[in-house]
Amino acid sequence: MGECVLVVDDDREIVKAISILLKGEGYEVLKAYDGLQALDILSTHPVKLVLIDVMMPKLDGLSALMRIREKQNIPIIVLSAKSEDSDKVLGLSMGADDYVAKPYNPQELAARVKSHLRRYTSLGDIHTRRGEDEIVNGRLSFKTDERVLYADGEAIRLTATETKIVELFMRNLGRVFPAEEIYRRVWEEEAFASEKTVMVHIRRIREKLELNPKEPEYIKVVWGIGYKMEKQEKCN
Amino acid sequence: MDTKWKSRKNAISTLFFVLGASLLLGGMAGIMKYKPGSVRLWQVNELFSGDYQNNYRFQDYITGWFWNFLTMAAGGSLKESWGYGMDGYWGSDYYGGWGDAPDTWDYDWEAWQDSMDEMVDIYEETEEEWDRLQNEGAWEEAKDALERMKAYEEEIRNLQEMIQSEMGAGRGYGLKEPTQEEKDKIAQEYHERIKGDKNLLYLISYEDQVLYANTDLLSGDGNMTAPKGYNFLLYFDGEKVRIIKDGKELDIYGDGYYREESSWQEAGERRNWYVPGYLNFPVDEGMKKVKIFLAAAKEPVLYLDGSYGTGGNGQYNNSLYWMNYYCQENREILKKEAVYFILGLVLLLSAFPGRKSRREMRAKIAGIQAKIWVEGKLLLMVGLLFFVFIIIKCSKQDYGLWQELGEIYYYEYGFTNLFIYGKEILKNAHPAAWIVLFWGIYLVFNDFKYNKKIWNSSLCGKLYSTFSVKSLSWPPARKMALRNSTLFVGATCYVLLLLGMIFWRIRGYGNNRLIFVLVVFGAAAFLLTAYFVGRKNMETAKDMEIISGYISEIRNGNYQGIEGKAAGHDLQKVMAELEDIRHGLEEAVEEQLKSQKMKVELIANVSHDIKTPLTSIISYVQFLKQEEELPEHVKDYVKILDEKSQRLKNMVQDVFAVSKAASGELPMHMEKLDFGKLLCQTMADMEEQIEGSQVSFRTDLPESPVMIMADGQRMYRVFQNLFQNAIQYSLAGSRVYVTLQTKGVMASASVKNASLMELDKEKDFAERFTRGDESRTDGGSGLGLAIAQSFTEACGGEFLWETDADLFVVKVSFRIAE
Repeated sequence: MGECVLVVDDDREIVKAISILLKGEGYEVLKAYDGLQALDILSTHPVKLVLIDVMMPKLDGLSALMRIREKQNIPIIVLSAKSEDSDKVLGLSMGADDYVAKPYNPQELAARVKSHLRRYTSLGDIHTRRGEDEIVNGRLSFKTDERVLYADGEAIRLTATETKIVELFMRNLGRVFPAEEIYRRVWEEEAFASEKTVMVHIRRIREKLELNPKEPEYIKVVWGIGYKMEKQEKCN
Repeated sequence: MDTKWKSRKNAISTLFFVLGASLLLGGMAGIMKYKPGSVRLWQVNELFSGDYQNNYRFQDYITGWFWNFLTMAAGGSLKESWGYGMDGYWGSDYYGGWGDAPDTWDYDWEAWQDSMDEMVDIYEETEEEWDRLQNEGAWEEAKDALERMKAYEEEIRNLQEMIQSEMGAGRGYGLKEPTQEEKDKIAQEYHERIKGDKNLLYLISYEDQVLYANTDLLSGDGNMTAPKGYNFLLYFDGEKVRIIKDGKELDIYGDGYYREESSWQEAGERRNWYVPGYLNFPVDEGMKKVKIFLAAAKEPVLYLDGSYGTGGNGQYNNSLYWMNYYCQENREILKKEAVYFILGLVLLLSAFPGRKSRREMRAKIAGIQAKIWVEGKLLLMVGLLFFVFIIIKCSKQDYGLWQELGEIYYYEYGFTNLFIYGKEILKNAHPAAWIVLFWGIYLVFNDFKYNKKIWNSSLCGKLYSTFSVKSLSWPPARKMALRNSTLFVGATCYVLLLLGMIFWRIRGYGNNRLIFVLVVFGAAAFLLTAYFVGRKNMETAKDMEIISGYISEIRNGNYQGIEGKAAGHDLQKVMAELEDIRHGLEEAVEEQLKSQKMKVELIANVSHDIKTPLTSIISYVQFLKQEEELPEHVKDYVKILDEKSQRLKNMVQDVFAVSKAASGELPMHMEKLDFGKLLCQTMADMEEQIEGSQVSFRTDLPESPVMIMADGQRMYRVFQNLFQNAIQYSLAGSRVYVTLQTKGVMASASVKNASLMELDKEKDFAERFTRGDESRTDGGSGLGLAIAQSFTEACGGEFLWETDADLFVVKVSFRIAE
């Protein structure tokens, strides 16, 4: 049996669906239908990850989140029908590790659960391994000596060009690079039709390292300016 | 009954008060006017004694005679004697000939010479005036001046002749001393003239030898007993003067110094006797041998000269008689005035208890006064002053005031004289003038006391207010027109006046001064009118500025915070109406915002409520999709379910986005970005979709960056939607043209594609849920263009689309950022 995941939602069908989804991935799933129930289960079961809805009877998700955070450091993913940025920011600032808007993409949800669990269980000591030869950004880490990119501790297979691009981004977290500059620094040639070429590579990299390539979290387009690697606030 | 009595009492009390005050004042003025100058007001006894000797004029007469006698005794020339000489003072005084010095038969050619010089001066002045008048064209006056000149010429000639004849006849003594004989002759003649008037007895002796005397009742030995009927004795023993009046000796010398205590103008003061014997006024040797004894009758009588032999009879001068006569007359008047005074006092005192009820009366009068326009009051006041003037004029008490007024312009002392004359006039004014003046002032005070601001009720003010109130309801244009026409009429009048004057001058009428005054007044009036009209119009112009500012602020969508601004005057009504519009607009906008907000909230709630079941649907469809053992047709169903649920998901998200964007609640992150690059990136991002479609993209983007201010993420969404539309709805094998152009400060990107379907010209594609093909059932929500439009507008850009036959063109324009 895999790790124990707690799913909390007042909509039983959703809980059931998620449970089916996660069981399919090999996790043990505990179910709760309100915040209090969730707290009960958490106090009695060795839960490794919590998926929690915001709007629930008795105790709402965000309050429950704060109560859980008082005791435990396990990953918590907030599931909510509220999809606005402000809602996301609120959830994250209350101590959530991730925020998934409903209706979610089942594959993405599964991927996120997997990512968080991996980092929580096997890479718990990630901080200690951080050194001069390693650049860490969220679930990504780039080892400069090996020139290999790890996502949740797993090495990602990148082509030589892709590695160069990723290295450029990882070494300059948050900096926006125009396509021309990326082209010049990676290909070491004068930029020509750079936008399309760079975009193609970036899309490929995204598909390899983003949980949901359609809504990238790491490599982002700054529209009308260039591209950047988003610096993740949460580095656990 | 009671009220009737009360009102009657009121009336009586008021009547008493008015009568009493009038009589008191009149009596007072009368007493002041008729009392002898030397008697003080409180010396009641002397006031009504009718003793003419109390009058200071008596003193002057006596001293005059005394000096004449002294001169006669000392053998001097009366002409050059002390004090009142022969010519000059006598007879030329305003009070009529007092004192009876010899006639001015003893001509002085020097005086004539003086008067001739004066005449010549006047003649020359008149000549100048004549010249001037001729220049001015005042023919009538010039003629008059000419007449006068002729008269003066005549007079000058006469004077010249007289002077020459005098000098030729040897009679003009000139500067030389008259001989003793001549002096004696003059003295004798003087004695002859006055001796008949037995009201004044005199005895003049020199070295104890009687020179002149008109009586034997007096003795030169210093016996101070008064003859019967005479109560005033003056005796000069060569050293000092003694005066005995009614048996009592007067203190003449006081502290022994003579003081010019007052001039004749300030009559009424007791003064020192102008006689020798003071420490500062000693007698000379010649005078020590002189003894003069004078006696004045207690009740003078009229003496007539019956010397038919010498050529007719006549009155002696009889100065004392007439003095006494007038004094008695004055006493009668004084008595009468005193009666008035006392009667007035009694009436006033009896009216005293009713003063409270009189207050009502005063208030009532004030009430009547309040109804009178201030202009009327001014007119009444002027009338009153005129009336007072008439009274003064009629009682012939204006003295030489008017002449003196004229003299103010010519002589420096004119002003002081005016003051003295004014005082004199006031003192001698007819009591009626005082009464009228008093009641006039009383009424003015009453008016001020009860009605405070008496100018509030003025004809001008009333006219102005009715006029302005009336004009307030007029439209501003009419008001301004009225003002302008006022100005025009004013200008016309003034120009006509000027033209008339020029004409007048050409014809030679009128005089310069009048024209000058009229021109100045006309100019002042015209300028004043122009100023006021201009000011009014300026106010209106300022108001118009305020209103136009107001309008533009409303146009700019600022409905609040401009309430403080207000235009008054002409545009008040317009302003009020505009304020109404603003208010209405504000309310409408607020209402709209509120409903918009509610709509967004509703949509947010609905979309949230939809999302929850949708999550389940999507999840279970996913599971179904993963089922391997389903029959083929069921797999088809599941596929449809999957598609539709995805579409529903997109729709829900899009609806939410559109409603938020439309309500302006979409959070925006504005930054400076390259428009061209944005298009490139978007196309690169959609590369796969484009590659996989049946259309190809043609781009025409400028080399250099085109910077704009926008939210990149939103604009990406805009162009994503536009390109998606182009891919979906374009004719297979056609091209989509993407161009970016800059025009002035605007940069506009356009996406053109040939539509697969025939475009309905009437259709609004940007309207929500509108789709080119109604029956189409792809993944689109039908909100693509709506989102593109609302996002563009939220970023501050302009979103335009048009159809040209089957060509569908969308234009997104932004202002180029510096």
